[in-house]
Amino acid sequence: MSLTDLAQPNQGYSYAFLDAFAKRELRRRILKGIAIPGYQVPYASRELPIARGWGTGGLQVTLSLVGPDDTVKVIDQGADDSVNAANLRRFITRMSGAETTTDANAATIIQSRHRIPEEILGEHHALVLQVPNPEPLRRVEPDMAKARILHADADYGQMWLVLYEQLVRFGRYIQGAAYPVMVHERFVMAPSPIPRWDTPALHQSAHLTLLSAGREKRLYAVPPYTNVYPLEFTDVPFEVEDQREWACRTTGARNKFLNELPMDDGSSQFELSDTGYMEKLVNQQRGEPITVGTTYYDDEGNFYHDGYLKPRYNGERPSDA
Amino acid sequence: MAYVATKGGEKAIQESEKLYHQLKKPVTPEFVQEIMDTMPYLVDRVMGEGSLYAPDLAALAIAQSGGDLYEAVLLLRAYRSTQPRLAYAKPVTVDETLTLRRISAAFKDIPGGQILGPSLDYSHRILKLDVLDGPSPTDEEEDTAVEPAEKPAKPQYPLVADWLRQQGMMTAIDVPEEIDAADIPDVTRDPVMMPAPRAHRLQALARADTGGVLALGYASMRGYGFVHPTVNELRLAYAEVQVKHPVTGEYFSAGRVRVSQAEIVTKGKSTYKIGFTATMGWNEVKLIAGATLDMEMSQAEPHPALNEDFVLYHTEPIESSGFCIHFKLPHYVTFSSSMDNMRKVITVLYGAEAAGKDADEREEDAEKTATSEIVTKDTM
Amino acid sequence: MAHPAYTQEEQLARATFLALMWSLSYPGRIYELPEGSNPLHVIADTLLDLETTFYTPDGELAHYLGRNNAREVAVERADYQFYPQLTNDLLVTVQQANIGTLLYPDQGATLIIGCSLDGDTSLSLSGPGIPPAQPNKIRVGGIPNAFWDLRDNANRYPRGWDVYLVDESRIIGLPRTTIITVGGE
Repeated sequence: MSLTDLAQPNQGYSYAFLDAFAKRELRRRILKGIAIPGYQVPYASRELPIARGWGTGGLQVTLSLVGPDDTVKVIDQGADDSVNAANLRRFITRMSGAETTTDANAATIIQSRHRIPEEILGEHHALVLQVPNPEPLRRVEPDMAKARILHADADYGQMWLVLYEQLVRFGRYIQGAAYPVMVHERFVMAPSPIPRWDTPALHQSAHLTLLSAGREKRLYAVPPYTNVYPLEFTDVPFEVEDQREWACRTTGARNKFLNELPMDDGSSQFELSDTGYMEKLVNQQRGEPITVGTTYYDDEGNFYHDGYLKPRYNGERPSDA
Repeated sequence: MAYVATKGGEKAIQESEKLYHQLKKPVTPEFVQEIMDTMPYLVDRVMGEGSLYAPDLAALAIAQSGGDLYEAVLLLRAYRSTQPRLAYAKPVTVDETLTLRRISAAFKDIPGGQILGPSLDYSHRILKLDVLDGPSPTDEEEDTAVEPAEKPAKPQYPLVADWLRQQGMMTAIDVPEEIDAADIPDVTRDPVMMPAPRAHRLQALARADTGGVLALGYASMRGYGFVHPTVNELRLAYAEVQVKHPVTGEYFSAGRVRVSQAEIVTKGKSTYKIGFTATMGWNEVKLIAGATLDMEMSQAEPHPALNEDFVLYHTEPIESSGFCIHFKLPHYVTFSSSMDNMRKVITVLYGAEAAGKDADEREEDAEKTATSEIVTKDTM
Repeated sequence: MAHPAYTQEEQLARATFLALMWSLSYPGRIYELPEGSNPLHVIADTLLDLETTFYTPDGELAHYLGRNNAREVAVERADYQFYPQLTNDLLVTVQQANIGTLLYPDQGATLIIGCSLDGDTSLSLSGPGIPPAQPNKIRVGGIPNAFWDLRDNANRYPRGWDVYLVDESRIIGLPRTTIITVGGE
């Protein structure tokens, strides 16, 4: 008998790249994340053949869910054709044999960086958001051990102070993307750098949202039908980006999240950020038999949960009022 | 034809990768071997940061990445995470290692003697330009074989710190009776929590970015820290990797690895405190800086840039370099969200008529009234 | 390019995990574990390995659970607890299950309990995963009613227990966030 005989045969890569240990660990953590909405579960976070900070957190979650019967959509900034989205999609299919799609409603798993699709996701869909910084308290408490104590105590006073200071200095909240939210009335959560436009889509949703930061080694979840509210003072409402005057140059769509494209003459044009949705609209306009899903915002800009978004703030500073 | 959202992305990234490789010579087995033979210190550094002792794979990673070291380390790390854990090696104690170099700055002479070993410390840093003109047999340092000492140095040496302990100037290390290797926390398999178990801290330092450890360690040495480091001992050695034979259950040596370690001491109240770093491969800069940081991190109230959370997170080579280059990725959604705020703030601060005006003019106009610097600090 | 082999083990583990994940996401709805396998065994294979601890009062089951090198420990320290049957006598045991800490509430125990999902006790459920307009109702049997009071007293959100009810291959998830009213209308 030799050592070679005793060694296990080389099996190349495991299914979906991660070995059984890594998958079991991720799966245990995902379950705890779902049980404690918005709470950051620490995990080991293996190194993947993709650069850290390029979606390895989301990728690990996707790889622990995915099977050959899945249909996967990968987007970056809403775009399916972004080079990084293409790269992650190529890796996921190469390792799992899953189908791919650009249609948000046809996907069982959507891995995304910085956007939630415009069409309402249904039950048993998993939205996996890539997270660069899982800690909403980072700018008030960069020390992770201390931030964890603040979460333990639900001590979010400093977050409110930041918002108040913003109102005093600028007359409005100036947090752009990644607007902090309160989940299930307990944990303040960084929703990943989605625009404020997408924040309401996390509230009382039919789908499951999993958020994962590979570099920072934290994952967390928003289960379906869970309360998610942006931090806001009762008299100064949270507001989504104001694109009411904009229209998509390709489809004419309004009141969907649009990219602003600078033009040579100093003007701007606008185009849908969600390329999968745009694809459906264009094909529908060409007369093809396409069902476009119901969107979170209707064409007049009304969010589908009535009353969730309050009327826009009139712009007066609180001190002027 | 139907409009499809996925256009050129996939093709573009494939061609881009090809172009990268086309701008350098193809990797050959001979070239990989050449790297291993001529650049052991580079290979050591990549193995240390890649936390995978495999000189051939490290040399391959260096060649394949065209010498981009962060890429090379990532290649090793990604390969490492696909490998199963077959066995735990027997813990190595320092006095068992086959030591080639072992010096102490704390004492003129030490038990066993100062062993200079291989070093460039006292070389004149002069480029040997004539090498470019072809082989020159005149260079003494490089071309003459090392003259053997009259008395060959011993292979093994005691720890300098043991002498300090005997003198009652340093507290003894708690040595547990029997360590089950499976119980040792493993920073590559456990979630990181702060404060970190000591094993995590030392493992993180062992695979930390050499440049990052140096930058923070140097900040401490220049005076941002509390410790004045004295190199109590610096050691380059070979260690036997002893694993249990699967059939006989006896330990046997599966090979030797290059290891190095440093102990730094600084004065405590009535004893000397020790800072420690060890790594795979020989990497002296990282050891001294790392051992200094180990000591800083153990202070009750370290400088904010020298506390454990700060040091360990910011010297992780794959995470720091990955996050740094991720800023090349499109951020136009987050930027657009921030521009939306900027436009609103301009209206609030300067009035609706200020929208779209030249920024300098607007600022001048507004100078008489109170102005606020607009700093958005979105988390992206 | 062919993807790596989708092995039998991974198929079982993934199917089990998806049942665990969706049942915890939509508390009260019944999901199916892979057929033809011992339900407690497949759950153990999916979740347990040398990084985890378990407790079970069932000696035979304990032998199986240790297969993946998971460590058998006292009930108050066990991450995963398997009760093929939760009898009245075991209530004093399960009562000691860990609810985690405020810093790490994820260290709260996961309880896997065998029971009937067609029993006489009616439970009304509300909380995350359940649309507010449609509170969920389940019927269970084989679990002492006192257990629900125990759970209620133990949970100090975010600390608490996460419970799975298993009846053959059928499974229901009850995360610590689910508010349970016994016999409620």
